[in-house]
Amino acid sequence: MAPDIAEEHRQLRRMRAASLLEGSTLLLLVVVAVPLKHLAGMAAATAVMGPIHGLAFLVYIWMLIQTVSGGGWSRSETIRLAIAAFIPFGAFVNERALARRQKALLAPG
Amino acid sequence: MDYLWLKAFHIAAASVWIGGVLIAAVTIGALMASRNAAEAPGRSAILDAVRSWDRRVTTPAMVLVWALGMTLAIHGDWFGARWLTGKLVLVLALSALHGLVSGSLRRLGRADATPPSSRLRHAPAAIIVGVVAIVLLVVIKPL
Repeated sequence: MAPDIAEEHRQLRRMRAASLLEGSTLLLLVVVAVPLKHLAGMAAATAVMGPIHGLAFLVYIWMLIQTVSGGGWSRSETIRLAIAAFIPFGAFVNERALARRQKALLAPG
Repeated sequence: MDYLWLKAFHIAAASVWIGGVLIAAVTIGALMASRNAAEAPGRSAILDAVRSWDRRVTTPAMVLVWALGMTLAIHGDWFGARWLTGKLVLVLALSALHGLVSGSLRRLGRADATPPSSRLRHAPAAIIVGVVAIVLLVVIKPL
């Protein structure tokens, strides 16, 4: 594999990992921590999950800036990647799109 | 005591982070200035070394700065203080600039890519201004 393609491949893998982390922590926050706080009175659930998701969100947005400024991304792709971070399950759709791009990169020709 | 330990590691991580971003920003400026020497021997070795440092040291240090900073703000009940709001804006701007610089390092390493924006030559100065403003906000707390 050419060094350029290998580096792009690694970058997409890191971006997919950041996407999955962001999506999972958002789901845990919305589906587990928020109901625990409001239905079971466990305020600690959101006090813990809130900052963890905040950190995962920052990592994802930072990775997005880093990936896009590396070149080769259209404006619409960039906007879609950014919007997905705000929607539950959006990050998982994104992760699949990134996986497809990664597969296309490795395809011969 | 816990607060002071957190604060000490936060400052140490911030020092490593800012040092790393400056290394990357100055490298980009130097490589863009010597555009005619794109095939100069040693260019790819320098890029590889700086990219590797950015990935293995600078970026983890940045994440540590965020995590420790968030913990300090929660522990110290600082959220809402105006100096902290100002500092957060500057930290996010510096983080975004780091992302741009880091991505541009990758771009410079690709044979087929267009060169990064020439405005990035101002990045080292912007980083210094940002850091000085953050230190003033945190130490003097003028707001």
